Amino acid sequence: MIKQKITLAVTGLNNTDNPGPGVPVIRGAKDSEELEVRVIGLVYENLEPGIYMENLCDRIFQIPYPSSGSEGLIERVEQIHQQEKIDVLIPNFDAELFSFMKYEKRLAEKGIRTFLPTLEQFQEREKDKLPEYGEKYGVKVPDSINLGSLHQLNEVASKFDYPIMIKGQFYDAYKCFNIEQAIYAFHKVASKWGLPVIVQEFVSGTEVNVVALGDGSGTTIAAVPMRKQYITEKGKAWGGITLADEKMLELTRVLIQKTKWKGGMELELIKTSSSDYYLIEINPRIPAWVYLAVGSGQNIPEALIKLALGMEVKPMKEYKIGKMFVRYSYDMIVDLERFAAISINKEI
Amino acid sequence: MQILEEIKISDNGFVFNALTGESFSLNPIGLEIIKMIAANSDFDEIRKTILDKYDVDDLSFEKDFYEFSTMLKHYQLTQQNNPLNFV
Repeated sequence: MIKQKITLAVTGLNNTDNPGPGVPVIRGAKDSEELEVRVIGLVYENLEPGIYMENLCDRIFQIPYPSSGSEGLIERVEQIHQQEKIDVLIPNFDAELFSFMKYEKRLAEKGIRTFLPTLEQFQEREKDKLPEYGEKYGVKVPDSINLGSLHQLNEVASKFDYPIMIKGQFYDAYKCFNIEQAIYAFHKVASKWGLPVIVQEFVSGTEVNVVALGDGSGTTIAAVPMRKQYITEKGKAWGGITLADEKMLELTRVLIQKTKWKGGMELELIKTSSSDYYLIEINPRIPAWVYLAVGSGQNIPEALIKLALGMEVKPMKEYKIGKMFVRYSYDMIVDLERFAAISINKEI
Repeated sequence: MQILEEIKISDNGFVFNALTGESFSLNPIGLEIIKMIAANSDFDEIRKTILDKYDVDDLSFEKDFYEFSTMLKHYQLTQQNNPLNFV
């Protein structure tokens, strides 16, 4: 079979203790039997491990943080495109998605295809809107309050029993057992991610996740449920296993069907001892553990690229149950020249 | 008592619950008993098999069997119907 040659640009090459999904997305794309992928790595920092991994990226470019302005980020991508002719771009950070969604049309006109949720889909699943989201789509979610100031923490005492979860808008979550811990977590989260800070009822149970892909018309193209077997101090999965949980799959299919979700997503759920599922978060992108889905039979990155290119993708129903991933750390020895090149030239 | 169909039992005593992702290790007797339960043997059949094969008295077997059954229920390896139904 002759493979279709494409150039894929990917962000999120930060395979650190809080890993971005870039490297597993590239691995999935390279596993494709239909696509021959040339990879352009887009990095924010000059020590993102993906820069130094052999046989991963063909070119690397540094791009400016979206916080310094969406326009600057998009212009840099367009500049790279003039040089490299990007066919598909997969952004992998929550914080950059807004910029890429906002300029989706402009990028498409230049020939850079993406496959992202709409702004409405993106915004309605934000953490501070979760109760409304749960009600709208008939999903159980933990009760929560959005705090605009520290004084409002007093409301928590009358509404929830401890422990509670204190969460940032984009990242970070702390389990707090008393008001002192809650105040500390509030300051930590607010200084990093701004306001509102979200206080969420703590739901006791097992944390389970689904990685899924919606085609934008209500069809679930792929969905694989997983249970975290090993969780780091930052709450990241360092090991996980695929599950045979039809309830989780049904919940995913219903949500994608009702929201007409477009793109990759991760559902974070708590399964209680009475087998109820509480949706605690929706990540609007492919998660860092996506290679488990690839390894168990559903190549989500490949399917997403094909959808972005307008190719037909049939829904994938099967996956291997009981497949595991175990992450590891590994010291690469790299030459200073590579570090110098990305630091000074902003490209390799 | 019925073992859930999502439970995979290996001959080396490794038990995997595909519904929850949990796994367990059984000793040889535990493995023998769970296999009999999975094959729908009733309590009397299991008791006879174990008493014939091993040097154990009826009372000790019954006590250990109920404890084992409770554990299987606790870890959600069985269909949760009647809580008083041990076999």
